[in-house]
Amino acid sequence: MHFQVNGEKNMVFDFTETEEQKLIVKAVKEWCERNLTALRVRQMDDKGHPYPKDIVEGLAKLGVIMGTVPQEHGGLGLDWKTQALIAETIGYYDPTIATAAGFMAVETGWGYTIDRHCSETVREKYVKPAIRGEKFIGIGATEPVGGSDVAGHKTTAKMEGNEWVLNGEKTFISGTEECKMWGGGYWVNARTGPLVPEAPHRNITAFFVPIDADGVEVIEPYKDSGRMAISTGGFVLKNVRLSDEYRLGEVGKGFYHTMEGFDNARLMIGASCAGVIRRILDDAIPYIKERKVFGMPLAKYEAIQFELAEIYMEMEALKLMTMKTAWMQDIRYAEEGLPVKVSEAKTFKPTEVAKWISMIKWKGPFLALKAAEKAMIWLGAAGYTKEYLFEAAWRGVMSYVVGAEGGQNIQKIVIGRELLGKEYVPYK
Amino acid sequence: MPRIIVCLKYAIDVSQIKVDSATRKLLTADAPRKISDFDKNALEEAIRIKEKHGGEVIALTVSSESASSALREALAMGADKAFLVQDSAVQNSDTLVVSQILAEAVKKVGSFDIIICGEASIDSYSGQVGPRLAEILGIPAVTYAHRVGLEGNAIIAERILEDCSEVVKVKMPALLTVTKEINEPRVPTLMDVLKASRKELVTWTLSDLGVSKEKVEAIAIQVLEVSAPKVERKRIKIEGENPKEIAEKLVKALIQDGVLGG
Repeated sequence: MHFQVNGEKNMVFDFTETEEQKLIVKAVKEWCERNLTALRVRQMDDKGHPYPKDIVEGLAKLGVIMGTVPQEHGGLGLDWKTQALIAETIGYYDPTIATAAGFMAVETGWGYTIDRHCSETVREKYVKPAIRGEKFIGIGATEPVGGSDVAGHKTTAKMEGNEWVLNGEKTFISGTEECKMWGGGYWVNARTGPLVPEAPHRNITAFFVPIDADGVEVIEPYKDSGRMAISTGGFVLKNVRLSDEYRLGEVGKGFYHTMEGFDNARLMIGASCAGVIRRILDDAIPYIKERKVFGMPLAKYEAIQFELAEIYMEMEALKLMTMKTAWMQDIRYAEEGLPVKVSEAKTFKPTEVAKWISMIKWKGPFLALKAAEKAMIWLGAAGYTKEYLFEAAWRGVMSYVVGAEGGQNIQKIVIGRELLGKEYVPYK
Repeated sequence: MPRIIVCLKYAIDVSQIKVDSATRKLLTADAPRKISDFDKNALEEAIRIKEKHGGEVIALTVSSESASSALREALAMGADKAFLVQDSAVQNSDTLVVSQILAEAVKKVGSFDIIICGEASIDSYSGQVGPRLAEILGIPAVTYAHRVGLEGNAIIAERILEDCSEVVKVKMPALLTVTKEINEPRVPTLMDVLKASRKELVTWTLSDLGVSKEKVEAIAIQVLEVSAPKVERKRIKIEGENPKEIAEKLVKALIQDGVLGG
């Protein structure tokens, strides 16, 4: 397929899986079939957090956590297309989304971004151990004032002597209990300069805050409705002193670096939701083919068959969109190169990639939610029981609908900005 | 340090074969292929021996179609090198011919200490290739091994038989066939998969082995037909006053049917 890029040149994208990608997916599937069985996933969802350490260590040994981090930094140097295929597989085997949320979106999406912008100290002490499944690293973006309005956050960081002093509060943060137990830390944004009313995203700087740093107080985890196997909590920062080694990226550029992190995390969400949907269909189809009502299998009723066909079509569209987005992300990163040269990509500028990423972040969770809901309705009472994972999937993907990794309407604002121009962005 | 050759069949994944409901014929043409399950056990055992004693593991496959993905998987699991004998002439080859081709390939690979095969293949399940290969090469064959250890230049293997097990000692070089119970094949890590792409995978044709196509095509056994057994439910409903009575009736019915001994 030929694809016009910036009106300048034709590029060919071919999403046929390579032999290596097929083997990678096969290995992940085989591992999940042994370790993330439906029974285990059900037990994890019923029991709730903390996330089982044996699964994390297994995933890490397999190599799926932060696979895109360069090999010299402890990762595998995978491309995003391959990592998206892995996330899809993880979503398939744990449709409650807890595993994908914790270790694809948060650790892989944000972990990769942390690795791109961190010092060697943070890499050695936190990134590499997280890749090995020993520690947990994540994102602490949301504040009591809100989540999506990143530029409006209140946390501050001031340089005192040769240290940054952070004060603020972060809420609805994934994995706080796991991070507390295993060690690790979070990407945290703080205002490091005056608020510029017409450009509030300026003067924000990103930091890596170790969970056990003096002044970090982890709050009680929330009682969530879904993705029960991983905790959601928060933390308060009271005069947390960090050396400059804990700064992520450039001073004042935290907002842009954060958007990059969201891009990577949202890509993982689109991919894992595609896996969730496929799992829901695979679990529902045998039942509707077998179960007879009024002398005819459920699957023969158009009311069900047509809905199945529609969800399948949408799922395939989501998968294509996800692969195209991952492909764009690969090109963008290849052009930016390492070490970090943010926004130097020529073929796909970050904002262009962000538009596609927002499209899959919007489409994936809503579609997964719909698929789970429909499957429950198709199967009737059986689909409503815990014999199936539909209800757990429904509760889990709802976390992304309500706003994890960016509210759904924010995605439309990003898409609208790219279609109409910056001057049509309704909120700054 | 033993040099181990593992024979892997690129078999039809029988779990994914569809059956034509009218004719009961197996629709094998579109069925995916994979490393035969027991052969994966053979590979795992070879890798474990290598991990304990050092040496080299060589994967060997004879196939009518490209089995490179299966051999890459073998390399990812831990084989050091892989050889694929690929020739369309072997499409309908029987166990005798396949054993002869494997024997030629083994000779071309060079010296070895142990050859390990699965006890049988998942698709045709004849269990003949291993013993035939040993016979052609003139080495001892230890079949149905479910435990294996090395002692000096000998192999100690526990064979699982119908109603007993047997421990045998055999000098290397020797051929083993292993059961499914011997181990659980590992899942390669993604790093192993990446490394596998850099390992050596050599493809030979029959002529590279000096085997004539005519000889290969002159097969001794021709499979005329393979069809799925017809399975029909008996639809017997056992009723009774209480669970004990129902259980007694069920046992009686199973004895009458020959499922349980009387």
